[in-house]
Amino acid sequence: MISAHVTTPKLIGSWIALLVLTFLSFGISLLGLGEAELFIALSISVVKTFVVLFIFMHLVEQRFANRLIVILTFLFIALLVALTVADPLTRKTFPPRPDPAANPYP
Amino acid sequence: MSAQRLVEQFETLEKQDHAARLAMWMFLGSETLLFGALFASYGYYRGMYPSGFVQALHHNSVALGTTNTVVLITSSFTVALGVHFIRENKARLAAGLLALSTAFGAVFLVVKGFEYAHHIHENALPAGMYSFVDQPPAGVVLGYTLYWFMTALHGLHVIAGMIMLAVVAVLCWKGRYGTHRYVAVENVGLYWHLVDVVWIFLWPLFYLTD
Repeated sequence: MISAHVTTPKLIGSWIALLVLTFLSFGISLLGLGEAELFIALSISVVKTFVVLFIFMHLVEQRFANRLIVILTFLFIALLVALTVADPLTRKTFPPRPDPAANPYP
Repeated sequence: MSAQRLVEQFETLEKQDHAARLAMWMFLGSETLLFGALFASYGYYRGMYPSGFVQALHHNSVALGTTNTVVLITSSFTVALGVHFIRENKARLAAGLLALSTAFGAVFLVVKGFEYAHHIHENALPAGMYSFVDQPPAGVVLGYTLYWFMTALHGLHVIAGMIMLAVVAVLCWKGRYGTHRYVAVENVGLYWHLVDVVWIFLWPLFYLTD
């Protein structure tokens, strides 16, 4: 049996931290920071995900094999999203998007 | 209470539990990649149609979205507490917490249902069914299509998670799980936390950023 490191106070602390981060994210969205907004919001989401993964999902007390799966999943998604988004963001020599006149909406 | 049965291919119960947990993490990894493909298409189309996309998302109710975020985070907390107490052999308490989490899942779906009803009323529907604004700027329809697809897929996961939470809650109450046997409860909890993590990303992408 695994020795339990995740205790009730830690669970309550994590819950409060998640709520604080949620309202922080909400508050920052009201400031209207433009371009940086998406990056900040997603960074806060990543922090929240770590809290959920390590405390709520007990990753902190599990074997490395389980952590390896999480690390690989993160890497694959980062690769997938980064390479996909790199296409529309770096278009310079050909139209950035289809011409709406050529394909009007129904 | 029934003791956990050791199946033939494992030497010890500890190894058997580790295999069950590892398999759950692998399943969650593949689930995350399913959503990952949708997040990639979100990034692609948002990069292609920045203004139209944001215009579609502006119409979502931030108040309802934030309410749902708080509801799901709290449900994740009660699930984590439930798993904690079943390990300490407090089966009735764990059953109550898991049932409470199921109820939070239902609250989430009701709030989401109100949002969907509002969108349907305005004909802000995906793809070919869209007729909210006659001549939408390019990207608005794509924004709504991804909104519906991603939130509906997440909603299906909420329903699946609620069914599993309800089942383990009943089995906890009946005394099937306890200190001697709790991997199934842990794994259902892991699934529910994944549902929470997906929403933690859907919320800023569809409600907050502009």
